[in-house]
This record gives sequence, C-alpha cells and structure tokens, in this order.
Amino acid sequence: MIIRVQPGLGVPIYLQIESQVKHAIAAGALKLDDALPSVRKLAAELRINPNTVARAYQNLERDGILRTVPGGGCYVSSQSPGLMKSEKLRRLRPMATQLAVEARQLRLARAELLQLLENSYDDLESR
Amino acid sequence: MNDLAIETHALHKHYGDIRAVDGLDMNVARGAVYGFLGRNGAGKTTTIRLLAGLASASGGEMRVLGLDPRVDSPAILERTGLVVDKMLLPSMTGNDLVRFNRGFFPRWSDALAAKYAEVLELDMTRKFKKLSTGNRTKLCLLLAMAQGAELMMLDEPTAGMDPVVTDQLLRVMVEDFANEGRTLFLSSHHLSEVERVAEWVGIIDHGKLLLEGRLEDMRTNFRRVRVVGETLPLAESPDIVSANTGEGTTEYVVRADADAFAAQLVSQGATVLDVTPLNLSEIFLEVVGKGKTNVSMEVLA
Repeated sequence: MIIRVQPGLGVPIYLQIESQVKHAIAAGALKLDDALPSVRKLAAELRINPNTVARAYQNLERDGILRTVPGGGCYVSSQSPGLMKSEKLRRLRPMATQLAVEARQLRLARAELLQLLENSYDDLESR
Repeated sequence: MNDLAIETHALHKHYGDIRAVDGLDMNVARGAVYGFLGRNGAGKTTTIRLLAGLASASGGEMRVLGLDPRVDSPAILERTGLVVDKMLLPSMTGNDLVRFNRGFFPRWSDALAAKYAEVLELDMTRKFKKLSTGNRTKLCLLLAMAQGAELMMLDEPTAGMDPVVTDQLLRVMVEDFANEGRTLFLSSHHLSEVERVAEWVGIIDHGKLLLEGRLEDMRTNFRRVRVVGETLPLAESPDIVSANTGEGTTEYVVRADADAFAAQLVSQGATVLDVTPLNLSEIFLEVVGKGKTNVSMEVLA
C-alpha cells in the first residue's frame, strides 16, 4: 500500500495516515492480516518524523483497526472498530455536513445525494 | 534538566545597540527534531553561535547537553555536529577534510562519511574553494553527520541545494537521526521541509521566541474562524491571534478551543461560515506578521 502525505494541508499528518489506512481497508487494498511498513521504514519513506507515524499507528490500534506484535510488525486486525455508535456518528458528522452543503450549493435534490452515497457504499461492498 | 538537549533562559546577545538575541526562552527535548524558524535576521544564526560557544552571550542562561557553552564549548562540540558558518580550509579536498576531522571526534565513522558522500552526490576530490555554495554546505553537513554526534545543530542545512538532494538529506535526517533518537536542531525558513520532519517548532522574531510547541498540536489547535454578523461582539480572548473585518465578514485566527470560540460567537447572534485549519506557513505568518509578542507556550506545550 502506498501512503502519501501532504504536510502543507494544515491537517495533522497522523490524521492523513489514519484516514488513508482506513480507506485502503475499506477499498480492499489492505486485507486482514496484511502487514504495514514499520514505523521507521514509513517515516524514512515519507521523510516525516517517526513519532508522527507512531501516533497514527497507535490511534489505529486503539480503534481496533491494526494490531502490533511486539518486535514483529504491525498488521490489519480482525476486530471491527470497537467504537460506540455515537462516537462513530460524531466522527462522520463534519463530512456529512460538508456533503450536504456542497449538494445544496449545486442544487442537487436530497434523493440524488442519497443515491450517490448508496452507490459509493455499493462500490465498496462489491469489492 | 536532563531530558533537555538545549535550554535557554532570558538569553541575550547585543551588538552595540542591536539586540540580535533579546530574551530568548527555548527548550529542546532530547531526541526531538526541532525546527527553529525565523525570517532573515531574526536571530537564528546568532543563537546557534551562542549555543556552540562561538560567540559570548550578553546575558541570560543556557545549557547544551547539560553543559554551559561559555565554559564547556570544547566538550559540547565534541558531542555536537555543527553546521553554521559553512567555511572550511579552502585548499583542502573533501577527502583531506575527512582525514583532518576524524581525529577530533571519538565516534567518527569513515563508513558514514562515504555513505553521505554518495547520498549527497559530492565529489570528495575537489578542493573546498572550488565547490559551489550548495556543495560547500553538503560537505559541511557530511563532516558534521559523520561525527556520530548525539546532537546536530544545523543552520539552514538545505540552503542552495536542489530538490533531489534536499529530499535525500531529509531521508538521512529521518533514518539516521530521528529514527535513532538523536536530537536534531535545525534553523530554516523553508517551512515545507520543516513541516515534514520536525516534531517541535520554535518561531523566533526580533531575537525573541514567539511560539514554541509540538507541530501536530499547532495544526490541531490553530483555526481560522470566518463569521458574518451585523454587530459582532468585540471578542475578548487570549487565544485570538488576529481579527480582521471586511465587507461584513470577520476573520479570526485562534490558537486554541476554536469550537468553543465559534459556539460563543453563535450564541451572541453571529453566523459562523466555516472553521478551517492553518498550515505551518500560515501559522508562521500569523505569529510573525502580526508581531504579537508573548504568545504563551502553555497551551501548546
């Protein structure tokens, strides 16, 4: 899996790494028990601080998305994210708001936006 | 104090009437990659010269690796890779300088010197005076990095380098220094490079440190809040870095608790258009451009 970060975005780099790993798992590019590069290796490849990579991995592990084997690397975990539903919704709300704003700006009907979302969901499930 | 590689308190350096360093308070943790940012003439080079014991302070306190540069400069330099003036003996080649330098440093590595010559694409058979500005900097870096030092103090290390070599240098900094838990203190005004590798950032202007903190915390906490409202309250908050009004819209930059700040404005009848993050360059411009001093560090530390 190729991770790319854009330091100039203003979005913390560890969040960029987290969201790319989540996306890769959702899209099927990363599968259960696939190995991720080590903290040191990824840091060197991306020319970023190793603590930034470590923080992203720790957050992903806390969310049950990765598991770390001491001295043996980092793998995609079998556990589904063990978050409360309210927390899951809280994380998605800003993105939902953004989508709604853009859709209204483009004069897209509510049903058309929902259809678009359903299509995206179907695409992920069919992989 | 032992967990700090560099520590200064109320550090001063005056040249006549010019206060090059004017009450600098700075803390660099051991093992950190610390980006020391400032405009030309802000006091970056002078600070590094003071820390290395190459210039004498006019006042204040400092410790480097637990030692006082005023009395222990040789002991500090033995353990510190220093790139500051970028001037070496003009008629010596890179290979001559490797042979000349290795005797001074107990942890010197010829293997590292050879590796960095390859990584930095440096011709080691050319005399120093025949090298371009960028290649002179590279040779200085090579000699500093081959020392096996626990602390690196680099003044504008990428100045004059092309993008390919800069990228290679950043990789070396992460692989051989950050990954190994060594302290890397680098001054720069190339914010995009610092934004990648630095975990800590200090912003200096007119000889004072205006802001010091973890870069990821700054990215998380600094927010631009755009607000529309006829009668905006004259918001009083120590977290407001700047406020600009034009054409019915007011733009605040806050450095902490942006959500609470926005909620407060909404409760006072304003409409919040959006709350957006700032990158390091924008944070730098806000902090330095407004010239607001004494931005307290507690929030970010």
